[in-house]
Amino acid sequence: MNNSKKKTLIYRIAAFLVIMAIAAVMFIVGRGHTVYFDNKSSDLVAEVPYKIEVKVDGKKVASLKKNERGMVDVMGQKLTMELVVTEEKGGEAVHMKVSQPLPYNMDGIILNIPAMLNGASQDQYVSEFVPVLSETEVAEETVVTDDTAGLMSFGEESEASK
Amino acid sequence: MTEKTNTITLSDRVKDIAKDFGLPRLIITGFLVLLLVVSPFVGADLPTQISNIINRFSWNGILVLAMVPMVHSGCGLNFGLPLGIISGLLGATLSIELGFSGAFSFLMAILLATPFALVFGCIYGWLLNKIKGGEMMIATYVGFSSVSLMCMMWLLLPYHSPNMVWGMAGKGLRTTISLEGYYTQALAKILQINIGNLSIPTGSILFFALLAFGMWAFLHTKTGTAMTAVGSNPEFARSSGVNVDKIRLISVVMSTWLAAIGILVYEQGFGFIQLYMAPFYMALPAVSAILIGGASVNKASVMNVIIGTILFQGIVTMTPTVMNNMIHLDMSEVIRIIVSNGMILYALTRKTEETK
Amino acid sequence: MNKINYGDLLRRFSVPIMFVIICAVCAPISGLSPSYLCNEIVTRMGRNAFLILSLLIPIMAGMGLNFSMTLGAMAGEIGLILVSDWQIVGIPGMILAMIVSVPISALLGLFCGKVLNMAKGREMITSYIISFFINGIYQLIVLYLMGPVIPIKHSNIKLPRGYGIRNTVSLLSMRQKLDNLIPLNIGGVKIPVATFIIIFLLCLVIIWFRKTKLGQDMRAVGQDMGVARDSGIDVERTRIISMVLSTVFAGIGMIIYLQNMGNIATYSSHSQIGMFCIAALLVGGASVEKASIGNVFLGIILFHTMFIVAPKAGTVITGDSMIGEYFRVFVSYAVITVALIMYETNKRKNKSKAGEQLALAQEEANE
Repeated sequence: MNNSKKKTLIYRIAAFLVIMAIAAVMFIVGRGHTVYFDNKSSDLVAEVPYKIEVKVDGKKVASLKKNERGMVDVMGQKLTMELVVTEEKGGEAVHMKVSQPLPYNMDGIILNIPAMLNGASQDQYVSEFVPVLSETEVAEETVVTDDTAGLMSFGEESEASK
Repeated sequence: MTEKTNTITLSDRVKDIAKDFGLPRLIITGFLVLLLVVSPFVGADLPTQISNIINRFSWNGILVLAMVPMVHSGCGLNFGLPLGIISGLLGATLSIELGFSGAFSFLMAILLATPFALVFGCIYGWLLNKIKGGEMMIATYVGFSSVSLMCMMWLLLPYHSPNMVWGMAGKGLRTTISLEGYYTQALAKILQINIGNLSIPTGSILFFALLAFGMWAFLHTKTGTAMTAVGSNPEFARSSGVNVDKIRLISVVMSTWLAAIGILVYEQGFGFIQLYMAPFYMALPAVSAILIGGASVNKASVMNVIIGTILFQGIVTMTPTVMNNMIHLDMSEVIRIIVSNGMILYALTRKTEETK
Repeated sequence: MNKINYGDLLRRFSVPIMFVIICAVCAPISGLSPSYLCNEIVTRMGRNAFLILSLLIPIMAGMGLNFSMTLGAMAGEIGLILVSDWQIVGIPGMILAMIVSVPISALLGLFCGKVLNMAKGREMITSYIISFFINGIYQLIVLYLMGPVIPIKHSNIKLPRGYGIRNTVSLLSMRQKLDNLIPLNIGGVKIPVATFIIIFLLCLVIIWFRKTKLGQDMRAVGQDMGVARDSGIDVERTRIISMVLSTVFAGIGMIIYLQNMGNIATYSSHSQIGMFCIAALLVGGASVEKASIGNVFLGIILFHTMFIVAPKAGTVITGDSMIGEYFRVFVSYAVITVALIMYETNKRKNKSKAGEQLALAQEEANE
């Protein structure tokens, strides 16, 4: 009797540990970030390229002229992107593949691409994007906890058709 | 020696009463008393609060009273109250449609609602007789189906009164109909007592007292005692020659009629007729009110109605004001849901004859 | 003899037949194209099947229609809200939400099971009230405790006042990620293959479960509690386990449902889900005491066809768009009412039949 009880206990603990492991993996693999690409000059780079195109997963997500910003939502801790850099207008386009590790704790990550291309260190070209709530969003939002909510809000629709 | 025995019996009796009353009810009563005591300290005007409670009591009392006949006859808690409410709504809308106005429209609404209540009550009662044992669940869904059926009817029935129909289309009733010029406050204004901020709608209370007394008197008549017998011991009742089905039918019809009157009284206090989905969940507050008042699934008295309605409406009225003034946080809706449904759960989980 | 069989058959399948008639009448009137209907039904099948399958277990255990599947739905929503705040996206986000919802569902299912054990004979109305009661607690947590007590980092999920969750939480990051995982398109109809695979797996699990000892115990409890107790089955524990399983599956099903919708209506998504799922199951021919996997799928097809077709047909017939919408709500409730009535009348008929047989047997024994 004791043996089978021990076996059940071991199975249960094992299953629990497996699920915890899966959860931990999900935490890491599934971390979503919004990555912003800047084609801006900084202390490190005075002259920025004329145009930088950013491709993620084969899809073009941004075409940045000088001082422009693009963004993409990604999942995971590493961002693999293809850059097509055109230094001068009408100049030749240079393709390059860049693999950028993303810091876990930042939701919005700003990459200063010219600085990155010029060999700057991680902290110099990666910064955090902090969203500022606009005025409209701060407007009061009423929560409807009425029991009949979700049944159908006929009252309002019918009023509108009056 | 004698003194010692006296003290024991007193505390024993107190303990007995407390146990009978039930822990949840004690908690609720304590909570309400606490609210009443705290309210003047947080800036809520006590006389206004008390008149609010009395007002709401007068609006809801009859709807809760409607629970009593069916509990007595063993049909359980009347979750199908919406059926009676619909009869009342039909009476009200017909009364306005036929052109009556002022306090007289209230009387006509009652008269017009009665035949509907009788017919619906008979059908409902016949149905319940066929499904003895599963009344409460089916009652709930009969109530829901009839409310949604009426939603279609309110749009289709040929109403024409300009006060009630949509302006643009000219047909189909509006969701809320104002009772200005009709019977709003019809009962409340009768013999209204106003002392400063305290206003007592004497008319409504007298009306409720009349019906409550009528119910109490009925329960002591021959039919009434037969009803109680049918509820507590159907076999014994049947062997004594009582027609169990007929008595249950009478109880259902009474309950439906009282619900019709109840919604009319509610409307005169509230000032509006609410159609469409409004009656959908109206059974639940009435059910939990009577349970808070000490009733159970197969036992209810008029006293339960009075105590329960006061406690329930007290909590519903006081909690928002006190909480708002105290912590600027309005948790009243959530508290109301938890308290009223928790009460019903408590009642449903008590051991009775069937669940042993 | 044959006549009785037809009558019985007709009565048992009266609800599905009624629905077939309603759909057959309304569908052409509504003017919706068959390919649109097909697409809608396939989508809704993927969305709802898991939820409705979770209703099968309590019916097996004799606890009737599980009106408290809403509890599992709420657990799933809480899981999704937390995962949203932790910024875990896509399929991993979904899986994490499911893992988070399981302990919450299990706890709620435990509560539900214990309360239902205290209200034997009145399970359905009690589970109905439980769903309201826990809805109040859910609102307490989501509207007041999330933020101050349960840390929520992102202000775009919170209400402007600083605590409590907004009316809608966007699930854009995982919208239809499961559905589109393995894309398949047949003649213009999008088929969510991955979702169907998961549903198929659940069906296999349910079929396997019926054959295990626990499953057999549950069926015994469902048939007759007294007999089951006499054969040594712990009736109370089995009933609680059935509620826990049902709630956990409902939580996962709700996540699949919301993943398809793309956003959570925080305070109303779960409230009608119980009613519509039960109505769909009953339309598929299930009853309060007997339900099979076939009922689930037939029910989804019939119920949701009616759901889509009725409002449009109502608009065409009466010129008023509201009539059709009220009609479909009315039909949903009427279906449940009819099923409950049939269940009760059958129960009483069987009781009296059993009584008659007992009397007959006694007479024969006396002879």
